[in-house]
Amino acid sequence: MAGGFDTQDMLDIYLFENGQLLERLQEIVLEEKDEECFGEESINEIFRAMHTIKGSSAVMMYDEVTKIAHKLEDVFYYLRESQPEHVPHMELVEHVLQVVDFITSEMIKLQNGGNADGDASDYVAALDKFLTDIKSGKGEKGKKIAENVHEEPKHYYIAPVATSASRFYKIYLTYQPDLQLANVHAYKTVYALKEIAEDLLHYPEDIISDESAADEILENGFKILLQAQVSEEELHEIIQEGYDIEKVEIHECAANEFLQGFDSFGTEIRIDLESSIEEIEANAIAPGDYVIKPKSEADEKAKPKIAPGDFVVESKEPGKAKKLAKDKPKKQEKTAYISVDVAKMDMLMDLIGELVISESVVLQNPDLKVPGLKLDNFHKAAGQMTKISTDLQNVIMSMRMMPLTNTFQKMNRIVFDVSRKLGKDVEFEMVGEHTEVDKNIIEHISDPLMHLVRNSVDHGIESTEDRQAAGKTEKGKVTLTAKTESGKVWIIVQDNGKGLNREKILEKAKKQGLLDPYKPDTAYTDKEVYQFITLPGFSTNEQVTEYSGRGVGMDVVVSNLQSIGGSLEIESVPGEGSQMIMKIPLTLAIIDGIVMEVGNSSFVIETGAVKEFFGVREDMIITDPDGSEFVMIRGECYPVLNVGEWYKLQNYKADRTQGMLVLVEIEKKIICLFVDRLVGKQEIVVKPIPDYIKKVKGLSGCTQLGDGSIALILDPAGLIE
Amino acid sequence: MSDYDTQQDKYVTFKSGQEYYGLKIQYVNEIIVFQEITEIPESEDYIKGLINLRGKIIPVIDVRIRFKKEPIEYNDRTCIVVINVKDTVVGLIVEKIAEVVEIKEENILPSPSLGNEDKAQNRYVYGIGKVGDSVKLLLDPEKLLKDEDLNLAEQANEEALIEGE
Repeated sequence: MAGGFDTQDMLDIYLFENGQLLERLQEIVLEEKDEECFGEESINEIFRAMHTIKGSSAVMMYDEVTKIAHKLEDVFYYLRESQPEHVPHMELVEHVLQVVDFITSEMIKLQNGGNADGDASDYVAALDKFLTDIKSGKGEKGKKIAENVHEEPKHYYIAPVATSASRFYKIYLTYQPDLQLANVHAYKTVYALKEIAEDLLHYPEDIISDESAADEILENGFKILLQAQVSEEELHEIIQEGYDIEKVEIHECAANEFLQGFDSFGTEIRIDLESSIEEIEANAIAPGDYVIKPKSEADEKAKPKIAPGDFVVESKEPGKAKKLAKDKPKKQEKTAYISVDVAKMDMLMDLIGELVISESVVLQNPDLKVPGLKLDNFHKAAGQMTKISTDLQNVIMSMRMMPLTNTFQKMNRIVFDVSRKLGKDVEFEMVGEHTEVDKNIIEHISDPLMHLVRNSVDHGIESTEDRQAAGKTEKGKVTLTAKTESGKVWIIVQDNGKGLNREKILEKAKKQGLLDPYKPDTAYTDKEVYQFITLPGFSTNEQVTEYSGRGVGMDVVVSNLQSIGGSLEIESVPGEGSQMIMKIPLTLAIIDGIVMEVGNSSFVIETGAVKEFFGVREDMIITDPDGSEFVMIRGECYPVLNVGEWYKLQNYKADRTQGMLVLVEIEKKIICLFVDRLVGKQEIVVKPIPDYIKKVKGLSGCTQLGDGSIALILDPAGLIE
Repeated sequence: MSDYDTQQDKYVTFKSGQEYYGLKIQYVNEIIVFQEITEIPESEDYIKGLINLRGKIIPVIDVRIRFKKEPIEYNDRTCIVVINVKDTVVGLIVEKIAEVVEIKEENILPSPSLGNEDKAQNRYVYGIGKVGDSVKLLLDPEKLLKDEDLNLAEQANEEALIEGE
C-alpha cells in the first residue's frame, strides 16, 4: 500500500477519476449491449479507460485492480488491433461489467477507509480464457470468410428510399497504385458518403475485414452506387482527388439502372436498414450465444439469389440520411464538469440573495426621493444592474439543477442485470432523461427508483412463456419517463407486463386485516387497492427471489418519497402492465410560495398546498361550544385556524370580515387559515430555523423576503395535526 | 512576540441597566446595529426572534430579559452583539456597547457567591474584572445561552450531523 506520506489528496483524485471513467464505461457498454459488436470508437474508449485505470492503480499500488484492468485492456487491445470477426458480444459485455463491478467495489472499500483487498484472480482467469477463445476463433473463421468472398463476391446493398428528390450516381474511384491499405481509404470515402446517403452500395463490399479487398480496389477501382439528394458538384466536394485517390468519376444514372446495381458482377446480398434489429427480434437468440455472423455461409443460404429490385423497403423517414447497420450514432459531446463543494454553492446563493436585497435598498433609497433630483442616468444604470442580478440569480438556481441522465443510466444496468438473471428478455427505454432536478432530490430518488425498476422487471414482466401464451411480444419492455408537470417532476416507471392483480391484493389485505369489514370489496377503487402494496410487509409474490418479494421496499419507497415532499401513484391495467408515477418537487431549496401577513409577521405557505382564497361574511362562520370555528363553503364545512390567535401574535385582525381565508389541502385534509392580508406569490429560498430555537409546531423553516425581512414558512401538515 | 495572541485578555464590554458586562473577545463575531426582528411564536420570552445577517438567519436574545429585568424600548444605541459559542451563532441585544478593554488574569475575581445582584444574573457571571476603578461583570456566554437551551441546541446539532452522514 502507498503510505508514509499524505496520500489522501491523491486518493481522492484517484477515486474521483476512476469513478467517472467507470461510469462512462458502463454507459458505453450498456448503450451497445444490443449491437452485434462494439463500435470502433467504443473499443478505443474502453481500452483507454482501462489503460488509465491500470496506470493510476499501479501508482497507488492497488495490485489487484491493476491486474484486472490490465487484462481487460489486453482484450480490448486485441479487439482493436486484430478486429476479430466472431466475438461473443454478450459474453464480452458481461466480462466488462464484471470488471467494472469489481473495480467499483474496490473503490467503495477505499472510500470508506478500507483497503483494496479484493481478489481479482478469478476474473483475470476468466478474461484470459475469453481472450484465448476469441483468438483461436478468429483464425479459423477469418479464413472461411476470406474464401467466401473469393468464391462469391457479394454486394452490401442498402434498400433504397424512393423519394422524388433523390438522385442516383455511379461513382468510380481509382486509387494510386502504390497506396497502402486501399480498403481503409475506401472505407473513409464510404464513411463520408454515409452522412448524405439514402442508399449506398459499393464493391468490393467487404472493405473492413477483408484485406484482399485492398488489392481488388487497386486493380479494378472502387465502385459506389449512391442515392442521395445532392448535386454532382457537392459529391465532388466530398470525394476529392488527393494523395490517395487518383481519379474520381461520377455519373448520374436512372433509378432502375441504380437498382440493377453493378450488372457485371454476380450475386447481391441485400441488407436492408433494419436488418440487424429484425434479425435480433426474429431469432430471439438466447442471451449468451449472441453471435451474429453477417457474412457466414448460413446467411447466404438463407438469402438465396435475389433479383435486384425485389425487396424495396420504404424508409420511414424519406430524405433522412440512413446509416449502415454497423454504424453507430454520433457520440454526444461530453459536457465538461467540475465538482464544487455544495457548501460553497449555498454560500454563493446566500450572497446573491443578499445582493438582491442590498440592490433594492440602493434603488429605493429614501435619499433618492429628494425633490428636484435629475435621476435619468441613475435609473438607466439601475435597470442594467437589476437585469444582471436577475440573470445571476437564475444561473445560480440552474447550477443546482442536474439532469436525471446518470440516474436513469444506472437503471439501465439494473434492468440488464435483473433480466439476465431471471432469464427474461427485457428492453429498456428512457424518455426525457435530460429533465433537470435539484441535486439533493436526485440523491433521494435513486433508491426508490431502483426499487421500482427492479419490481417492474421481476414482478411486472412475465416470463417469456407466459408472454407467448398471452399473445404478447416476447420482449418485455420497461420505460422510464421523466417530465415536468405542474411544478413537479414526474418520474414514471412503466412496464408492459401483467399488471397488478386486484383480487390477490384484496385477498392479502383481508388476511392482514387491512380492510374495513363493513365495506364490500367492490367499494374499493382500483387506486385504493393498489395503495395497499405500499404498506409495510405487503407482498403478493409467493416466491421470494433475489430481487424482490420480501415485502420490504414499497413502503420504504413511499416513505423516502414523502420525506422530500413527493408521492407515489400506481396505475395498472391487468394484462397490459402497470405504471408507477413518482411525483417529486423540483427542488428542496426553492419553493414557490404565497406570502401573507398576520399582525406584524409575514408567513409563507407552499403554493401547491393552497387551493383557494376567499373573503368571508360573518354568517359563514360557525362556532361550536368549544370555541372552535368552522366555515361553510359551497355546502362543505371546514375547520378554521386563526394564525394570529394560534401563535399569539400582536395586532392581528380579529374581525373575520377584514381578513382572508386561505384554503389549504394536504393529503386530502382541508383546513382554512385565517390571515390578515395576502402579499403575493414569490419564489423563496428555504432556510432552516436555527437549531437554537426549539421546534415550533406548524413551522417548517424560514426565508428572507425581497425587502430583507424574514418570513416564517408554514408547514400545512404540521398545522393540521 | 509572534506567538502572542492579540486577543488574549481582551473583553468587549457593554452596558445593560447600570452595570457593565464583559464578554471574551474570542466569542464575539461582530457587532451590528439594531435591525428588524422577526418574532418566533411559542418560544421563550428572552428569544426575541430571528434576524437576517447577510443571508444567514440567526436567533437573537435580549440580555435584559435574560437577566429577568424589565424590558426597555430599543433605541439608536441598541446594538446586537453576534457571538459564536461552539458553532451556535446567536445575537445578543444590548442597550449600549461600551469598549474593548484588556483585563489581566490577576485582576479577575471569582464571582461572589452571595451578592446583592439578582440571582438570575449571577448564574451567567463567572468573574468580576477590575478596570481602574470600575468593575465589569464577566459573562460566561455558554451559560448565557445554556441552561436548558444550549444542551438542546447541541443535541439538535448532533442529530443533524448524524442525519447528514
